[in-house]
Amino acid sequence: MSTREVFTDRLQAGVLLLPTMVVSMVFLYYPTVRAVGLSFYRASLARGDVFVGLENYRRLAGSSEYLRSVLISVLFAACVVVGVMAVALCISFLIHEINVGKGVYLVAVIWPYALPPAVAGLVFLFIAHPNIGIFTSYIEALGVDVNWFSNGPQAFVVVLIAAVWKQVGYNVIFMTAALGNVPESLTETAELDGVSRTQRLLRVYVPIISPTLVFLVIMNTIYGFFRTFPMVDLMTKGGPAGATNILIYDLYRTAFQFYEFGFASAKSVVLFIAVGLLMYGQFRLSDKYAYYGG
Amino acid sequence: MTDVTLQDVRKEFDGVVAVKNIDLQIPDGAFVTVVGPSGCGKSTTLRLIAGLEQATEGTIQMGDQEVTGVEPKDRDVAMVFQNYALYPHMTVRRNITFGMKSAGDFSDEEIDRQVEEATAVLDIDDLLDRKPGELSGGERQRVALGRALVRDPEVFLMDEPLSNLDAKLRIKMRAELAKLHSEFETTTIYVTHDQTEAMTLGDRVVVMNDGRIQQVDSPQRLYDYPETRFVAEFIGDPAMNMLSVDISRDGTEYEAVGPSFRIPLPEADGLETAAGAKALLGVRPESLSVADSADRSSFPAEVTVTEPLGDSLLLECRTGDQEFKLHAEPRTAVEPGDRVPLTVETERLHLFDPQTGEAIYHAAAAQSPEVTSTVDSTI
Repeated sequence: MSTREVFTDRLQAGVLLLPTMVVSMVFLYYPTVRAVGLSFYRASLARGDVFVGLENYRRLAGSSEYLRSVLISVLFAACVVVGVMAVALCISFLIHEINVGKGVYLVAVIWPYALPPAVAGLVFLFIAHPNIGIFTSYIEALGVDVNWFSNGPQAFVVVLIAAVWKQVGYNVIFMTAALGNVPESLTETAELDGVSRTQRLLRVYVPIISPTLVFLVIMNTIYGFFRTFPMVDLMTKGGPAGATNILIYDLYRTAFQFYEFGFASAKSVVLFIAVGLLMYGQFRLSDKYAYYGG
Repeated sequence: MTDVTLQDVRKEFDGVVAVKNIDLQIPDGAFVTVVGPSGCGKSTTLRLIAGLEQATEGTIQMGDQEVTGVEPKDRDVAMVFQNYALYPHMTVRRNITFGMKSAGDFSDEEIDRQVEEATAVLDIDDLLDRKPGELSGGERQRVALGRALVRDPEVFLMDEPLSNLDAKLRIKMRAELAKLHSEFETTTIYVTHDQTEAMTLGDRVVVMNDGRIQQVDSPQRLYDYPETRFVAEFIGDPAMNMLSVDISRDGTEYEAVGPSFRIPLPEADGLETAAGAKALLGVRPESLSVADSADRSSFPAEVTVTEPLGDSLLLECRTGDQEFKLHAEPRTAVEPGDRVPLTVETERLHLFDPQTGEAIYHAAAAQSPEVTSTVDSTI
């Protein structure tokens, strides 16, 4: 860290920082503080706020429906992270290995990521719709009865595939870039030594690009917990029977369908803390295993 | 150990010809250096031998086996790269053993024994548990050499392995490489842009330019009998001077005639064809010297720059519109602007064809019998 003072004038520095600070205050810090505050109230639009202390949290702890949602969320996010990264790593490696048409494959893979989440959800809905889906008949030909509008596990898998499909492109961008930075001579040394392709990927490339992979684990975790909301909303609405009721969707319904803002705030605080702790854990782990050079 | 033969090998990259149909024979156990300026195709040639590039035309043979289309891993070659190419996340031991273990041709005991041997030879046995990031450049290069050694390959390929080291370490490693080779006697092909490395390390030196082999010879012959103007100017520092002259003949006496000098040429092959035509007179800077006094055998030149090197005084001189350099005795009292008489050691003169650049005549050929080269090459 440099201790050099760029601005001798504190006022000047303050003025330059002001826009960022105002935006952060208004849209990030104030709502955060407000949400934490609200979680101690029974808040409704019609009857005003009533302070209830830890009542909302007690309700949460005792709600089996909420605990199930926590489980589903964790499982869903874990599957998203693992699924996205496994698929993206394979695709990135293949793109890295071929010499012809790299750009075409890259565009094809990144395309779903370029779609707005809501559009992606809709597109996938039509691809896998139980009755009119484009792929449905092929999958049914394999002997699978596609009825994820009523079958919980199927719904979970379909939303998971949609979520993975949407996020793979983002990962591929970073992974191909990272693979591109691996010195060519390492690849050649491995080739001369007769190291197989899979060995080369797992023993040479993965350790070298591990800092990028750690970053992607974090981003995919956030994605799995928060950004998959539009897909759940458009495809299953948390159903059937809560099988895809991930926390972020549960929270949305509590707030904007049942208008229990205090309870919803408590849920959001819990989600925030849970994801925060998870990431802390990931960073600690990555320090131990990721290779940062040196 | 094996010999390597390149036959009519050509390599094009998207229409750019990097290697232009070269022929090269590298005998079993030789240490051959390939030297040339950037972009001359020397690294491409090495990569073709390694199998990292595929030849557009021609064949490559190792021993009795043609390896032209063979995968790198099946050629039994080990390569040392300029940037060492060590796996940064692995310890030195793992770096050395990774390839062997992956290839699966060696038992664990064999690997351990080989590692012990190689690291002892290279004096890196105390570094085995460190990672490349904790090593100095010289240590890293030793590890890279160790990795190549343990595999006991048929051929060692080295692509400018010393270029990233500082000058002092380079000289030290150079000596060690020579020692290693005399110990293991593995056929080694060593690419470098540094003529000193090429000359000191190689039994045979291959000089390349513009995708073609210019000459293959022992270091001394390369210096004494350059076959082309390019070789003459590339080998030796400062480069051989080239003066354009007319060759005049008087009976059996030949002279190189310049604007202000007439230099007698000792009788040797090639003079007859050169007579009466223009030629380039090649004179090495150390073949010229400042005469004590002007006489019949000297010619005058004007000193333009003086560079004291300690063990000699490098002078840049001009005669007419031709410039050249020479090594004078150190502490010679000359200043830029002085006119000095110069003499030439006539036994060390060369003539080159001004159009093709090919050597027409070597004065020294009169004294020394033709030495046949064991490495054949066709230009």
